[in-house]
Amino acid sequence: MSLSIFAFWPLVALVVAGALCTALARNLIYAAMSLGVTLSGVAGLYFFLQAEFLAVAQLGVYVGGILVLILFGVMFSRDILGKTLRPARGTWFLGGLSAALTFFVSARVALAVAARRGDNALELRRSAPESWPGNFAPDSPAHLGDLLSGPYLVPFLVVAMLLTVILVGALVLVRKEGE
Amino acid sequence: MIDLLLSGPEALTPYLVVSAALFACGVLACATRRNAVGYLMGIELMLNAAALDFVAYGRFRTPLEAGQGQVFALFVVVLAAAEAAVALALVYSVYRTFHDIDLEKTTTLGARR
Repeated sequence: MSLSIFAFWPLVALVVAGALCTALARNLIYAAMSLGVTLSGVAGLYFFLQAEFLAVAQLGVYVGGILVLILFGVMFSRDILGKTLRPARGTWFLGGLSAALTFFVSARVALAVAARRGDNALELRRSAPESWPGNFAPDSPAHLGDLLSGPYLVPFLVVAMLLTVILVGALVLVRKEGE
Repeated sequence: MIDLLLSGPEALTPYLVVSAALFACGVLACATRRNAVGYLMGIELMLNAAALDFVAYGRFRTPLEAGQGQVFALFVVVLAAAEAAVALALVYSVYRTFHDIDLEKTTTLGARR
């Protein structure tokens, strides 16, 4: 046991509460703000997993980029003007049922995986510097850069191409007709 | 259970359970929202749950030298950004056509004349 559990469990509670608010809030602005809380909380969980670069990327791309995009999208909605689109009664029942089933099945699988391998309280792996692949620690930003310019070079270039296509495609989609 | 609570961030299970909860919330949002932007928020939640799973498994299960979990999560983040951009462009063009983004009303390819 270490003192970090006093930071970890409140963070977990924040993430789950934010996700619930995102799904259930009547007002779409509140939902977007709760989504921001959840995304920041997940960035905190990445810090606990010692994935610092990913945590910063999550904050920059998700909270700084996607959330702002979503807030732009909220402006198209009538839900912020007090008139809320209420789903039908059957939708609530079916949606709640499928969400509960999803949660219980995946949580059960997670517990079963941990029990089967018998290492539920597994220590985070800390390898010795002699076994490091280069002059940098495993999972450090330098290691990620090495991987992206080595074994993952082709996916990296494909994603770069995809982003270009997306940029042009989004512009074409929002273009006024006849221009 | 007490062991799990005390081990906290040093065990794999809490991350998997949080990820399951995030995914379930995403499913709930996608199933009940009639607003296209709310639906998009559900998709973002599900993508985040998947990325969290990748990083957790990469941390606890694979040799750290591979670094697969983080690289995969990085790609998930990039694709989520791309998906959000395209989805917002689609929402905008749907709004221009139907003057509304209620998903129950957008059942035709174009506005009715």
